[in-house]
Amino acid sequence: MQKHRKKIFLSLLVSFGSVLHFIENMIPVPFPVPGAKLGLANIMSLIAVVFYGLKEGLMVSVIRCFIGALLSGSFSSLLYSLTGGILSTIVMAFAYKHFNNVFSLVGISLLGGVTHNFVQVTVASLVLSTFGLYVYLPFLMVIGLFTGLFTGLAAYFVKQNLDTTFVQIDFFEEEEPHETK
Amino acid sequence: MITKGDKILFFSIILISFIIFVSFQVYGFADGKSYVLIEVNGKLYQKVSLGETGPNLKISVPVANGENIVEIERDRVRMLSAQCPDQDCIRQGWINRPGQMIVCLPNKMVIKIQSDKSIKEDVDIITF
Repeated sequence: MQKHRKKIFLSLLVSFGSVLHFIENMIPVPFPVPGAKLGLANIMSLIAVVFYGLKEGLMVSVIRCFIGALLSGSFSSLLYSLTGGILSTIVMAFAYKHFNNVFSLVGISLLGGVTHNFVQVTVASLVLSTFGLYVYLPFLMVIGLFTGLFTGLAAYFVKQNLDTTFVQIDFFEEEEPHETK
Repeated sequence: MITKGDKILFFSIILISFIIFVSFQVYGFADGKSYVLIEVNGKLYQKVSLGETGPNLKISVPVANGENIVEIERDRVRMLSAQCPDQDCIRQGWINRPGQMIVCLPNKMVIKIQSDKSIKEDVDIITF
C-alpha cells in the first residue's frame, strides 16, 4: 500500500510539474535575456526532495523535463532543462540533507534556481563554444534569485499544507505486519 | 520561515552577481579598434570592423532555419530579423561596446563585439 502511495504521489508531482512547465511557457518574460523564466516546475522537484529524497527528486525532474519538452515541442531546449534540472535537484537535495538547519526551503530553492541558471549558461557556452556567454550570468542570477524566492515560498506553503494533510490521512503509516500476514 | 542563512545567501548571491557584472564591464570597456564577429555553429562567418568611419550594411547570414539579417551602422550592430520563435535577439536592440554580444540560441548564432586590445591583452588580464 505504502509503495503504491509513493508511486501515485510522485506521478502526481510529475503531472503537476508538466502542467506548470506548460503554463509557464505561455507567460511572456519581460527581460531580453535568453534562458530567463519562472521555474515554477522546480517547486515539484523540491517537494519530491523534501518528502522522499534525492533519487525521487531526480526521477520527478527528469521525467518532467521529457514531458515538458514533448509538450512544448522543442527538443533543443531539452539539453538545457535536463542538465539544469538534474544538477539543481542534486544541489537542493544536498542542501536539504546537510544544511537543513541553516537554510529554510526558500534558501534551498534559491540555491537550486541559481545552480540551474549557472548550468544553463555553462551548457549554452559549451554548445556555442563561446565563453563570453557568461556576460548573461549576473542578470540570470539576479532574476533566478527572485524567481527562486517565489518558488521557495510556494514550496514552503505546499509543504506546510501537505504536512497537515498527510497527518490527517496517515500517509506515511508504517506497513503493519499483522495486516499483510 | 526565512532563516538568517537564507538572508546571507540572498545577499551573497547579489554580491557575487554584481562582482561578475562589474568585472565584465571593466573588461569590456577596453578601447581600441573594435570588430564585429558573426559566428554560426561556433565557426566564424564574417568579421567586420566598426568605428566612426565604419560601414552601414546589412548582412544576411544563412542559419539552420533560414536566414538571419544583421544590421551594422558605423559603431553599433543589431539583429534585424531572425528565424526563431522567441525573437529575444531582436528585442535586445543595438550593441556597441566590446564584450557585448547578441545570441540567437535556436539558430546557434552569435554576434559579438571584440576590440583589438581585449584580444591582445587577454592573457595579461587573466594572469593579472
